[in-house]
Amino acid sequence: MLEPISVSLESLNLITLSPMLIAIGGALLILLIDLFKDNLDKTMYVMLTMLILFIDIGATFSLNINERGFFDLMLVDGISVVSQLIILVTSLLFIPLALTASNNRFHEYSYPEYFALFLFMVAGLQFMVSTDNLILIFVGLETASLSLYTLIAMHNTKGSHEAAIKYFTMGAMAAGFFLMGSVVVYATTGSVELYEVAKILQSQGVDGLSSIIAPLGGAVLMLVAIGFKVSLFPFHMWTPDVYEGSSAPMAGYMSIVPKIAMIVVAMRFFGIYINLNIEAVSYLIIIVSVITMTLSNMMALVQKDVKRMLAYSSISHAGFVMAALALGTTKANSSIFLYYGLFMFTNLGAFAMLWISRHKAKRFHGRYDHPYEKFSGMISAHPIAAVIMAIFMLSLSGIPPFSVFWGKLYLISSVVDFSAATGESKYIVLAIIMVLNSAVAAYYYLKLIVYMFLKPPVNELNLVYTNKSLALATVIGFLVMATILSIFYVQPLMEFVTYLVSSSGY
Amino acid sequence: MENLLYIALFSPLVGSLFAALFAMSPKNIITGIVTSALLLISFIASAILFEHVMTVGAVHVTMMDWIMAGDMLIPFGFLVDQISVTMMVVVTLVSTVVHIYSIGYMDHDKSFNRFFSYLSAFVFSMMVLVMSDNFLGLFIGWEGVGVCSWLLIGFWYHKEDVSRDVNPSISPSWAANEAFIMNRIADLGMLIGIFILYWNTGSLQYDVVFAALPNLSDGILVAAAIALFVGAMGKSAQFPLHTWLTDAMEGPTPVSALIHAATMVTAGVFLIIRANPLYAMEAVEWVSYFIASLGTFVAIFAASMALVCRDLKRIIAFSTLSQLGYMFAAAGLGAYWIALFHLAAHAFFKALLFLGAGNVMHAMNDELDIFKMGGLKKVMRWTYLYMGLASLALSGIGIAGVGLAGYFSKDAIIETAFNEQNYILWIILIVTAGMTAFYSFRQVFLTFHGSKRYADTEIHPHDMYKYVLIAMSPLAILAVIAGFFKGWFEEFVTVLLPAYKMSEETHHIAWILGLVVIAFAVGGIVLAYIKYNKGLKRNEELENSLVYRLLSNQYYIPQLYDKIFSKPYAAFSRFSWLTLDQKIVDATVDGIGNMIKTGGDNTRKIQTGNLSDYLRWMARGVVLLVIVAFISHQLSQGAN
Repeated sequence: MLEPISVSLESLNLITLSPMLIAIGGALLILLIDLFKDNLDKTMYVMLTMLILFIDIGATFSLNINERGFFDLMLVDGISVVSQLIILVTSLLFIPLALTASNNRFHEYSYPEYFALFLFMVAGLQFMVSTDNLILIFVGLETASLSLYTLIAMHNTKGSHEAAIKYFTMGAMAAGFFLMGSVVVYATTGSVELYEVAKILQSQGVDGLSSIIAPLGGAVLMLVAIGFKVSLFPFHMWTPDVYEGSSAPMAGYMSIVPKIAMIVVAMRFFGIYINLNIEAVSYLIIIVSVITMTLSNMMALVQKDVKRMLAYSSISHAGFVMAALALGTTKANSSIFLYYGLFMFTNLGAFAMLWISRHKAKRFHGRYDHPYEKFSGMISAHPIAAVIMAIFMLSLSGIPPFSVFWGKLYLISSVVDFSAATGESKYIVLAIIMVLNSAVAAYYYLKLIVYMFLKPPVNELNLVYTNKSLALATVIGFLVMATILSIFYVQPLMEFVTYLVSSSGY
Repeated sequence: MENLLYIALFSPLVGSLFAALFAMSPKNIITGIVTSALLLISFIASAILFEHVMTVGAVHVTMMDWIMAGDMLIPFGFLVDQISVTMMVVVTLVSTVVHIYSIGYMDHDKSFNRFFSYLSAFVFSMMVLVMSDNFLGLFIGWEGVGVCSWLLIGFWYHKEDVSRDVNPSISPSWAANEAFIMNRIADLGMLIGIFILYWNTGSLQYDVVFAALPNLSDGILVAAAIALFVGAMGKSAQFPLHTWLTDAMEGPTPVSALIHAATMVTAGVFLIIRANPLYAMEAVEWVSYFIASLGTFVAIFAASMALVCRDLKRIIAFSTLSQLGYMFAAAGLGAYWIALFHLAAHAFFKALLFLGAGNVMHAMNDELDIFKMGGLKKVMRWTYLYMGLASLALSGIGIAGVGLAGYFSKDAIIETAFNEQNYILWIILIVTAGMTAFYSFRQVFLTFHGSKRYADTEIHPHDMYKYVLIAMSPLAILAVIAGFFKGWFEEFVTVLLPAYKMSEETHHIAWILGLVVIAFAVGGIVLAYIKYNKGLKRNEELENSLVYRLLSNQYYIPQLYDKIFSKPYAAFSRFSWLTLDQKIVDATVDGIGNMIKTGGDNTRKIQTGNLSDYLRWMARGVVLLVIVAFISHQLSQGAN
């Protein structure tokens, strides 16, 4: 006879689940409200979602660091908390962008499901970063991804359907690779718990080709899945098309949130290899990231559409960050989070600026919504908007004192420090490549500034800010201030992040 | 006292920022009033500090740590001692008068508010310059006054360039650039001097540096002294860096009075006085002697050009140059306190002279040619009085211990030259004193006496506003009485500066020396009276003579600089631009850019938009990664 399984509630440590439960509960609440009352204004849902996200942030803050829960599936450590905070804050800034000036222009926001799906996605991402169990990571990843595909499709243009299908198909393939990678890991170590995997790999020893080939194969397969989500070459193909197809805020959101979640997974997974001094994996990541940042920068140079340019630029930023990930030092890992924390403001701001100028009719170009020509002579027609956009561009290109500069500074200095600590001059080469790439990137960011400030308007068509509303202006204003004033908070922020990251041993 | 110090220092800054708020808006009298009031406050604070320094002693504060890098520690500190407090009082007093004067003078200017913002910013920089307790702070102020001077000379930047024959200073913006660039050249010397001192003493604080001087080798001391003096030469417009000062007269007249007569141009003299422990070293004796000689040369050189000049403001500018030469002569001979005394006295009467010239300009619709004036004394009684007084003071009129400011200060310098038994310098300085009297009164007589040569024009001259004339009175009073404080001043500053006493013999024959000087001065005035009192009689033959043309064209030095420096430099720049930059540097940069761009174009082709292609690329990517992983593994094994 089977023993009845009795589990004490206390040992579950359900508090570790609370942030996700809040998001899921909120999503269900939205669905229920919709069930009972139709045609509520989207403002209500926006506010409700924001409220839920607020509570979620509070719950995340109240988590104790370095605790496990729910049969040790959940792992709340420093990087989990900091990445959840980035995810939630970005979400909080993203959601009010739904409050465009005209209520019915973008009907995806008039569906309550949109908000429910959004919260499910957030919950999925939170699961992804709060566990070191490969299966739960996968579940979280798929929950988030499937919601995301739908959210993209709900933009409901020809482009967005195409984008969703492409993303979905390639995502399915990437998911396959993730599973294959997990299988290889399980086959070699007999566990899907990463901390177990680390122990077993250590005891097995990783010297010699025969003992390393299976773990290395697992790492390669994992890197495919991770590379897809983080958009590393050559798995980045979806990025420009999907960004182009989806709404601008969604594109900005995608360039931050799913990536940071996957980077946490990468940190956990590749951290094992780096701790075991399997240099092959570090080299692999560095080579891929160098190729990624270089090629995407080159491609960004020749783009005709600002949104596609920003898509390639976000790929190159991801390559930048991945290069630091291969180092595995506390400073490098902290810098990654700092980088995304600062990049978030600027990048979301840049995409939001595109968003408020979005017009249903493609008035400037047959295919693109935001060709460079659209912004010609913007300084005379919309001086403030032009200056704001210019600030975002300067920040993205890493010009002090704007936010991304500090991210780059810490990131590159972590590489240089690593080089000094290990005495390996090749990491200096990596730092130089990163700096050179930044220089190349400045070209295409400044190109937009040149269009805005130095070129005359192309024709009588004026750039219109049809979507501008007080809510959007507020969000953008906040983003601008966060970008400009970063010099004042970057130090404490870095200390906070370093504290969280180092407290769980990364 | 610390608070007073900050009040004295920062009031002008507050005024400047306040006026800057209105910079783009139309004229608002409030900017003039507020900046003037704040300067008055600054002056009062300086005066109280003066009293404090006199009775109690120097005030030294450290506001904050400024630069901390490695072993280098430079606090942002201020020092109010006998030297700096003298400068502070002079600067703030003249500035206050000039500010009030400007309210009237700039009355019709559309950039009224901007003007006051610049003017107050200048005063702030000047205060930083004189109050800093280290060389770096001094340098900041030094550059600050340079920038403000540039802004103010070029205040009417919209005026077009004209040829040198029409206007020797071409245009305000040209003159501003000339002043700035020439000062930059000299500043390099100053910077090198500061570097040398820092390198060898490890500090920039005056007290630390001066205390360390005896330990330095002679070569270093000489190098530092020369380098610092080069800086002083630029700011105080000593030959051969003197051309900018006369061209700087393109600025509004109050600017000329404040910056290019009373305060900024004396910064070089101030630097030498400040660094007197360095210049008094035995090792740098010949540098000091060189300074004295150069000063004397500039004194007569500038005076000679003033003899024939027809431009009202330029005459005064030449006389400023000449008087700066006197100051350097005194400082070079070791009579630092006399140099400082002449600096202060000169500031009063020279500012008065310039402001008077401003009144004349205002009355004559900006006409500056004294050949076209005359007979103004009836309509401009007060200005006549002021300018007459100032010219008397400048000429050093006085006898038997009673006289105007210049009598005391300039005579003392001439006496010093005699006392040093340097009779060549002494004779030159005496001759210069005669020339000074001549050109000063040539100007006064041509402007105010004789017939009204402007009668056939539409000009109806009138005197300045009452309040402006009243505001000028403190300067007039000081021009008259400043000299009586000589003994008292000597006692005050020689606490800090080396006391310079005349030898017994000199003292004995001092009255004879005084008489000689007076004779020359009066002789100059009488000559001017004979020649010009009745009106202008032009002598074609004289005006076409070689000497006359040489003098009136400033010895052709500006033209020479143009040929030797400006033109070849422009040619070199053009060469660098067209050949070095465009054909080599730009082409390389463009080449790299194009290469990357071509790379982008090629890479872009894999982005087909076709989903099957993308999936294929993912599969290829996996293969690629496997290969890379294998290579990486081999690499890492190889490395171990």
